[in-house]
Amino acid sequence: MTAIATDPPRASNSPLERSYARLGVLLIAPTILVFSIVIVYPLLAAIYLSVFSIYTPTLEGEFVGADNYVKLLTGKAFWNSLGVTLVWTVGTLSLQIVAGVGLALLLHQNIWFRALARSLVLFPYFLSTVVAVLVWKWLFNDLYGALNHGLMQLGIIDMPLDWLGSMPNAMIGVILVGAWKYFPFVVIAVLARLQTIPENLYEAARIDGAGPIARFWDVTLPQLRSVLTVIILLRAIWDFKEFDLLYLLTGGGPVTSTQTLSLLVYQEAFGLNRMGQAAAYSVGMMLVMLVFMILYIRQTKEKRA
Amino acid sequence: MTTNKRMNAGLPRRSVLTGMAAVGAAALMPRRIQAQEQITLRWWSPQSSPEQLAAYKTQIANFEALHQNVKVVFEKTSDEGYAPQLAAAFASGDVPNIVTHLPSFAVSNYWSAGLLEPFNDVIDMIGADKFYDGVNRIYEIDQGQFAGTSIGNSAANVIWLRTDLMEKAGIDKNPRTWDELLSACEKMQGGGIYGAPLPYGRNSMTSLIFIGVIHQAGGMVFSPDLDVAIDSAETRDALEFYKAMRQYCPPGATNYSWGDSLTAFVSGACATGIYTGRVLTNVNAQNPGIADHITCDVYPTKSEDIAPWTFNDFPSVFIPKAADNMDATKQFAAFLYDPEGYIQQLHAAPGHVLPVLSTIADMPEYQNNPIIEKYSAEVDIMSRAAANGFNLGWESTAHKPNTKAGEVVNSGVIAEMVQRIVLNDENVDAVLGETAKRIEEIMAG
Repeated sequence: MTAIATDPPRASNSPLERSYARLGVLLIAPTILVFSIVIVYPLLAAIYLSVFSIYTPTLEGEFVGADNYVKLLTGKAFWNSLGVTLVWTVGTLSLQIVAGVGLALLLHQNIWFRALARSLVLFPYFLSTVVAVLVWKWLFNDLYGALNHGLMQLGIIDMPLDWLGSMPNAMIGVILVGAWKYFPFVVIAVLARLQTIPENLYEAARIDGAGPIARFWDVTLPQLRSVLTVIILLRAIWDFKEFDLLYLLTGGGPVTSTQTLSLLVYQEAFGLNRMGQAAAYSVGMMLVMLVFMILYIRQTKEKRA
Repeated sequence: MTTNKRMNAGLPRRSVLTGMAAVGAAALMPRRIQAQEQITLRWWSPQSSPEQLAAYKTQIANFEALHQNVKVVFEKTSDEGYAPQLAAAFASGDVPNIVTHLPSFAVSNYWSAGLLEPFNDVIDMIGADKFYDGVNRIYEIDQGQFAGTSIGNSAANVIWLRTDLMEKAGIDKNPRTWDELLSACEKMQGGGIYGAPLPYGRNSMTSLIFIGVIHQAGGMVFSPDLDVAIDSAETRDALEFYKAMRQYCPPGATNYSWGDSLTAFVSGACATGIYTGRVLTNVNAQNPGIADHITCDVYPTKSEDIAPWTFNDFPSVFIPKAADNMDATKQFAAFLYDPEGYIQQLHAAPGHVLPVLSTIADMPEYQNNPIIEKYSAEVDIMSRAAANGFNLGWESTAHKPNTKAGEVVNSGVIAEMVQRIVLNDENVDAVLGETAKRIEEIMAG
């Protein structure tokens, strides 16, 4: 057995290293400061508020300990809204992924007007949510909406459909609009990754006799896994806490069928002026999201390993 | 004071000389008086149609002409959005100087939380004797202290009728009872026209209209002592009627709020409507073909022995306590009732907001309006209905002011009850029990 010669251990407190350490602290300080102001402080403030009963307009109230959390755990509102949030998130995210990957594959081909199509596909993502919702509400309108009018002209329906005021249409409606609004994000990310997949992988697959479908499953999809992991993670977080699109389209109705956790928090904080309870709901919402994300990342790592 | 009319009429020589003298005098004044601090007043309102905005512009211009160091900025809010916006404003301390056209029950809620400036000074500036009797009573939550005042009256749930369709269907009189209304809707519905645009959405309109329906059944949401009284036979009747009306409403009524309901009648898609006098302006501007075939009446009740119940939200004016420049704010609040601007504001939607000053209602300038002249009978019906109107903050003359009414409405608990019964067909007893419990929780909170 032979020993490998190593450098002698360096003195850990040399003036140069201390100087570098100080510089490092100095350089990272602004980031830490901004991080503390925009993330740590609101988080701690939400946790602090959640143990009080607070009247929103005055922000005055009294300490109630864990009462708000007891209500969260024992009441129906949080769990009902959590169920709605999961249905909405899974539904719209699945559609975004399917439509996004599908369209990215199409736009990766040599088709006519590819550059124009690649630009136009981003349109829904760039559009303001308020404008998008107004357009969709008009399309869904029972009396003047193009959707009902078209379906009636085609003879598919006899009477206008109530798209946003009854279940399950309301949930289907918001999921569709959500998917339409956000699938371009998937297209951009997937398209960028598709362009970097080495062509020789496809050639090798062709030589082995793989058809288009087999090439997709055995070459394209494994190559997209890393980018899809990030997309799903980001979009799941964003969809989970989506507010404006749902609020403007249905307001959470009918009854509470499309009332996600974000809408519940808003209703509690500003409809009922119970800021403490709203803070407890938002802390619960954050914990749920955290658990899902940890599970998801752990599972993805295991698959990679 | 007026400015625009005088300027339009041209400047007489005497005025020019007076003006020159004033400028000369001003030049001789000490610099500190000239250099008065510029201040900005912020005015919030959910009422912001183009005509109303034009009226506000006149009021602002006239006030700014009188007070050259004051700038007034109008910022619009909405019927569904004011509660969260004001909650955030109060919480942050960044409040508007003056808020108008919110329902009175919102005012009483803020007053009870100590967030408002007493309005007594403003009422004195306007002249308490100029108001119609009882107008300010709803704002006197604490003895001798007014939380605000009304900028107008409104009759928000009168029934609008298409007389041509009634004639065609062989209906010779306005429906007085629910049975007559159901029968009329049955007869008039068809050929792409629905019977009524009642709201079934999860919003404040559904809550407010249905509170009226409970009263039209002879019931109430709270007893005069403000105990929850919604779990009653009358509410069950109201729910049954509302459910029966669903078949005569457009499919999308499950998501209707004020704008949708108004448009459904104005566009001619519904044979009846439920709204304020804004219908008159909108029909004449947007669908003049039916302008000669509309009328209104108080909304039908369960039976003729039950008196009509009109929802008057008593559109308000109030001042947040944390507002800066309080003296100027109070002066501006009083100035809103200056005849020129006030009449233009009322004319922006004739019949929609009705005057609260008897001195204004009698003025020829107010009466001389083509819409008010053409629909004088309808305006009269609405004026009388509004004068005897109530809302959840004050359900009857026997009721105490309810400072939690705003939170009950904003919680959506009543709209949810309607949706659960009418759309989800849930058990009435169970839903009513839960609704009563939730309202009790809000009252206790």
